[in-house]
Amino acid sequence: MRDFSIRRLGLLLRRDFSAGYKSVFIAMAAVGGFVILVSVLSALGRELGSIHFQLYFPLLFIGGFIATSLSFKELYLNGQGVFYLTLPGSSLEKFLSKLLVTSLGYALGSLFFYTAVSSAAEGINRVIFGFGHAFFNPFTRRVLLAVTVYVVTQAVFLVGSVYFRKLAFIKTNLYLWLFGIVLTIVVAVTAWVIFRDYAVGPRIGLEPYMQELGRSGELEAVLRPMAEKFLQVAKVLFWGAAAPVCWIISYLRLRETEA
Amino acid sequence: MTDTGIEIKNLSFGYTKELLFSNLDLTLELGNIYGLLGKNGAGKTSLLKLICGLRFPEAGSCSVLGREPQYRPAALLEDIYFLPEEFYAPAISSELYQQLYAPFYPRFNPEAFQEYLREFDLRGGKKLSEFSYGQKKKFLLAFGLATRCRLLLLDEPTNGLDIPSKSQFRKLLARAGEEDRIILISTHQVRDMENLIDPIIILDEGAIIFQQPMYEVTRCLHVELEQVQPSGDGVLYTDKTLGGYVVVRKNVSGEETQADLETLFNTVIANRDRIGELFAPAGKEEV
Repeated sequence: MRDFSIRRLGLLLRRDFSAGYKSVFIAMAAVGGFVILVSVLSALGRELGSIHFQLYFPLLFIGGFIATSLSFKELYLNGQGVFYLTLPGSSLEKFLSKLLVTSLGYALGSLFFYTAVSSAAEGINRVIFGFGHAFFNPFTRRVLLAVTVYVVTQAVFLVGSVYFRKLAFIKTNLYLWLFGIVLTIVVAVTAWVIFRDYAVGPRIGLEPYMQELGRSGELEAVLRPMAEKFLQVAKVLFWGAAAPVCWIISYLRLRETEA
Repeated sequence: MTDTGIEIKNLSFGYTKELLFSNLDLTLELGNIYGLLGKNGAGKTSLLKLICGLRFPEAGSCSVLGREPQYRPAALLEDIYFLPEEFYAPAISSELYQQLYAPFYPRFNPEAFQEYLREFDLRGGKKLSEFSYGQKKKFLLAFGLATRCRLLLLDEPTNGLDIPSKSQFRKLLARAGEEDRIILISTHQVRDMENLIDPIIILDEGAIIFQQPMYEVTRCLHVELEQVQPSGDGVLYTDKTLGGYVVVRKNVSGEETQADLETLFNTVIANRDRIGELFAPAGKEEV
């Protein structure tokens, strides 16, 4: 690719990582303090179940989505937009830098940070009380799955960040809700049209239909494989297509942004 | 497309349905410090933004150093430094700024940068956000000059500079004008640019109505201070000033007189139609 250079991507990454480091440190201090406080209070109440995944989950998702929503904020700020867009780097390099910082960068950074903070909190618990919660293990399947889901879902907020001039996080959420509501209505109307013969008042009672399908063998022979296929397609779309589509939209939008 | 400068052909651009530029043509060659003059809203900043790819033309072509700026190719951005009127200086130290941003410009000269900072009387160790408006501007000007980009676009560069800084700016810029570089300065502060910008480009109502080097201005226009306000067809422009009237006429005697930029600008704006005939190449001039 003529307009891609690893050197420039490295320079952009260095710039993006160092931008706003003060705010990041302040946020880390606040989150760290909160985690230690909750951990100590929880130990004080002798609630010794596993609390760290529950605490890490919002840090990863809510924190990450907010950070992602802020990533292209400079595009729309007076003076900063001109500065950023004329900074020597192609749109692809600028996009990749923001993507890496807010997806893998944030996920790994938050994982490392939370492991350190939770270890410190549990160390304090053991010193004060002689017992504590289980240590946070960043390598469990559940944590790694959460990180993977974050990397996929944050792509939606990256689109929001490059599209919305202001309040990108709130607007992206509103659009997601709107999308959810529209999808629910479409599914409900479609179900009503197909199964209206089974309507019992405002509800659709499918039990007689399913029993009938079960008797005829159609449930096992046709519907179950169809449902499994549908699930497979949905998985492929989620894991393989959702994020790349969002990345392409974000990149194209960045390319056509004027200042 | 040439790789020698800026070539704009039949360019149309507008913010609304009403176009700001319609079929605009402009050619700028390397090795000059161009002055871009125009009234408020004439389109000076928009033209600078089109040249550096911050705005996209609706029709026509714009070639900058052999590339199309609207795609903002990195190789072109490495050769363009744009200092807008509303600029941005991040809240980091000058040293960190240099560390973070200088490597983006392959021809950046750190020694020259330090020299420019010294000449602008800027000390290190301070955050840019702690600088005054004028100091920030001087810092970014020094950085821009040190990038050794082949295209330097400056929008109102002397706004906010104190008197000594304006003089330092003129000196630095005069030194920075190199053979392989275009410096394009958009300004209202014409007195700050006196004896620095040449050729002069005047933009009015979305059209280039004047683009001439100063020797052509001297050849074609005669400027004199007269005690009595003159009248008649030969007079292109008069302006009451201390001690009489500045009178601009067509230069028929061949005597060399110096028109200041403000007088030149007012003369051109007041004679949009006649000025084209006056500056027509020899042989095409109407008698």
